[in-house]
Amino acid sequence: MARSKRKQLALLLLVLCATFIPTSSFADDAGLVLSAEASHKFSKRLSASFEVEFRSRNSFRTADRVSFGPSVSYKLLPWLKASAGYNLLIDNNREEITYQDDGISYNNWRPSYWAPRHRFNVSLTASHKVRRVEISLRERWQYTYRRSRYIDNFDFDEAEWEDHEVRGKGKNVLRSRLQLDWDIPRCKFDPFASVEFHTTRELEKTRFILGVNHTIKKKHGFELYYRYQLSGSGTDEPNMHMLGLGYTYKF
Amino acid sequence: MTRILNGLFTLALAAMLASCVSDDTDLADVIAQYQVEPVDIELDFSDLAEAGDVVVADENDPAYNDYVENSSWSKVIEIAYDEGGATVTGTVAGVAVETRGAHVTVTNLSGPVKFVVRGKTSDGSLKFYGDKRFQVYLDGADITNPQGAAINNQGSKSFYVVLADGSTNTLRDGANYAMVADEDQKAALFSEGQMIFSGKGTLNVYAVGRGGIRSDDYIRIRPGVKLYVNSSALDGLRANDGIMVDGGVVNIEATGAGAKGVRSGGVMTVNGGRMIAISAGDTRIGLDDEGVVDTTACAALYCDSLITVKAGTLKFKATGDGGKGVNSKGNLLVQGGTLMAVATGTNVIKKAKGVKLDADLQISGGYFYAYSKRSDPLEVAGKTSVAAGYVTCEMLPKVVTIAY
Repeated sequence: MARSKRKQLALLLLVLCATFIPTSSFADDAGLVLSAEASHKFSKRLSASFEVEFRSRNSFRTADRVSFGPSVSYKLLPWLKASAGYNLLIDNNREEITYQDDGISYNNWRPSYWAPRHRFNVSLTASHKVRRVEISLRERWQYTYRRSRYIDNFDFDEAEWEDHEVRGKGKNVLRSRLQLDWDIPRCKFDPFASVEFHTTRELEKTRFILGVNHTIKKKHGFELYYRYQLSGSGTDEPNMHMLGLGYTYKF
Repeated sequence: MTRILNGLFTLALAAMLASCVSDDTDLADVIAQYQVEPVDIELDFSDLAEAGDVVVADENDPAYNDYVENSSWSKVIEIAYDEGGATVTGTVAGVAVETRGAHVTVTNLSGPVKFVVRGKTSDGSLKFYGDKRFQVYLDGADITNPQGAAINNQGSKSFYVVLADGSTNTLRDGANYAMVADEDQKAALFSEGQMIFSGKGTLNVYAVGRGGIRSDDYIRIRPGVKLYVNSSALDGLRANDGIMVDGGVVNIEATGAGAKGVRSGGVMTVNGGRMIAISAGDTRIGLDDEGVVDTTACAALYCDSLITVKAGTLKFKATGDGGKGVNSKGNLLVQGGTLMAVATGTNVIKKAKGVKLDADLQISGGYFYAYSKRSDPLEVAGKTSVAAGYVTCEMLPKVVTIAY
């Protein structure tokens, strides 16, 4: 009983840490990741799932993304799994402000806007158990495509709103994730930690995750985690402190 | 445990629902400053209450000869147009008047002579030779010359254009000028010498071939005069050596590419009256003497020298690409009166600015307003000085207002 309380206390500390870390860094932002997934196992090897996800930013105050889509996975070998999936991402793209040469006067302002993207991915996950720790390495190739569209842009030189074309673009990313999952005996919570690198032609972002899984009657799975996302030098996105909460229903 | 999970999910759901705040920078106030509409500048033909003109009586004053009142006009010749012909009445020794249809050529070797001009012709002209000052008294004249200038003065002495009280006079040129060797004709009303407008009548000038009114010397406009110039080719009103506006109501429209509403090659001084010029042309693209591409933007007022506004009302508006309200290579001094310059054009080839100065701006009185819809309202290469005592001094992204 006492041990259970300690675990609950640890869980709460984790949540609190994740909540307060955003204030520690001036340039960083914070947000929430909420996800819900329905999963079905057709056989010992084949399973499919459908996931819905919501993200926020701006210290939890602004919706950042809604996404959903199916995926299938197949165990090629006891230690190797292949999977593929599709996601429709509906992004709330951040505003963009450019300045004149003096660095003070505004040049252009493109307010935030919602727009969809399509994402396809295929993955290979290799896993190996050492005592009660499972080590897994996932290599995922993902291709994300957005269609060309015109959005409002205020040109301060012209002093008027004009249609600005955001050109259609496809982007390939290789995501490499190393994860450790602990199976603690007689504990309702299984901690996990991972690091993931998103690479295009250069390292675009790195994600560090620390969290716990909790399963109820093998049907309901919950995960709670803290994710720190470090943006690469080639992107103008801020580093993100994310608090994640996920639910999985297996049937 | 279940209670904790329920609590977390309730919290998460609440956080999701609360994520409805925009993280955009609040630029509404800034944009409002950029999207301000300009003061409306339109031509204004209404009467203007003006103080009486003070005739310079001092013979040593450089302006003495600009006053038609300071000469004796006992020698008078009347020219009456009647469509295809012109009737000349009166003779003056030393003055030869030749008519060919309605094209009248005067050679004046006498002293001051007054030419009274009346009637209408759609294929006529009036041309002067001789280096003697003279007066053209327009009293209901309507002259159109399809082949060139309606009135062309080749003499270099004072050319007084006197508008008879209450009269309306019209001059029109043609699209193609028939040039004469060693002679200029640069506008519908052209003079090699200085041109002085006086009287209380109206003169309308329509130019389709070249400029509207042009002097290769200077132009003075006196109180009471009403001028309207509409030029679709070159500059509306232009003088090589300066423009003095002592009064009058002057309205100018220039629509040609690269054309200026008012252009002064010398000092421009405004002592009164109301002058409104609107330039609607886009930037002219051509080749210079060396065959290099050259671009020339429009301006409602273009000056190569000092502009001094002491009194009166000046309103300039450019609506074409790169058009400036006021563009001057010299200093601009606003000591009184009103100067308003508006640019509403685009910036495709040149920047459309309200006031562009290659020198200094000095404001010590009156009212100054500059606006640009798509560029800087005021660009001063030199120094800008605003003397103390102003009521308003506001320099916003698109509008500059200084009032005393």
